[in-house]
Amino acid sequence: MLFSRHCLSPFTAVAAICAVTTCVAAPRARAQETPYFVAYSHHLEEPGNLEVEVYSNYGTQKGGNDFIAPWLELEYGMTGWWTTEFYLDSQTTFNESTVFTGFRWENRFRPLTQEHWINPVLYIEYENTNGADKTLKEIVGFDNQFDQAVPNSEAVREHDHEIEMKLILSSDYKGWNFSENFITEKNLSNDPWEFGYALGASRPFRLAATSTPCNFCAENFFLGAEMYGGLGTTNQLTLHGTSHYLAPIVAWQLPRGVNVTLSPGFGLNQNSHTLILRWGVSYEFSGIGRRRKPQ
Amino acid sequence: MKHGWMAGVLLFTSLVTTASSDQSLDSAVLPSIARAPDKVRDKKNPYEGQADAVAAGEKLFRQHCAECHGDDARGRGRAADLRSPGVQNATPGQLVWFLRGGNLARGMPSWSGLPEQRRWQIVSYLKTLH
Repeated sequence: MLFSRHCLSPFTAVAAICAVTTCVAAPRARAQETPYFVAYSHHLEEPGNLEVEVYSNYGTQKGGNDFIAPWLELEYGMTGWWTTEFYLDSQTTFNESTVFTGFRWENRFRPLTQEHWINPVLYIEYENTNGADKTLKEIVGFDNQFDQAVPNSEAVREHDHEIEMKLILSSDYKGWNFSENFITEKNLSNDPWEFGYALGASRPFRLAATSTPCNFCAENFFLGAEMYGGLGTTNQLTLHGTSHYLAPIVAWQLPRGVNVTLSPGFGLNQNSHTLILRWGVSYEFSGIGRRRKPQ
Repeated sequence: MKHGWMAGVLLFTSLVTTASSDQSLDSAVLPSIARAPDKVRDKKNPYEGQADAVAAGEKLFRQHCAECHGDDARGRGRAADLRSPGVQNATPGQLVWFLRGGNLARGMPSWSGLPEQRRWQIVSYLKTLH
């Protein structure tokens, strides 16, 4: 089912063609990525670099049809302390339809310019999506798997204009990255503030680099895990009735700027999807919009 | 007595010369690198003298640094010339400290996401660029 004809939606195809075309035309770079899908670390995009990311998730659905939700991310390093990112979301629900579900625009700022034991990053995002969005980029409030069981024809009629803010705390220690995100989200209607969290830890298989170029050596592979879930709302700050996930991650960073990431996420209670399998490919271009001195 | 007085002058002169040469070395290092705390300044590079580390550092340099500093490391735009005395006069400890924190206000990213071993390998390579 996962690899059925629904797997490549028109959105994914266009995104893939754009990514491949741009790959041929622009200089590439390799950044220091942490391999998380949900959690964020304090590592921002390098200034002048544009990362094009095509991600997707496959979710199992009790009481409804399984789905695949691809999204495109364009992440750009404005300065050393400011990264901006634009998302286009879509989804295909098996035996239903493929729909465009909206866009998001996020900004991340590092208020402290020095490296510390714990490094804070402030995150603010505007979301304009509809109720059919199934990218599950964060879990907040009482989000649960039955939200995604609503048929597309009905869900697309719900429009969500939301502001999301995160406090990202992140540390690097002996090759490990540890990230803790505290999330709050507000629908710009009369809904209460919703809260959530995301935790991540990751490490490269090998800390030192080898002296020769290689694709399959251990230094290019990362292993990690993330855990995320909801924490209720301002009306009811609680774990009761919320959903939670634990997701191991493996990532492969090719020397030529391509990252491939895979993460099976497992629901930890009855409110969670049994499985959210996430995968993605990203490619980084350097020197976009950066002025250079004549050589 | 006369010899003792001359020895004193010589000792004083050599102390002053040593101190001033240290000072000139400091002032030649880029200010953002010279801010490194004393405890990291004299840290020894664990890969010192290892040809493999230099080769690994060159590979990492091409992957992470060359896009701004150029393949020849001579700097482009706001990115510093890594062959300049301002960088080459810095100790390995100062350089590895600077790589970790970067200079975000001036566009140099923090490379704390690279394991420390890889930052030392990059420094090994940089120190060959006289």
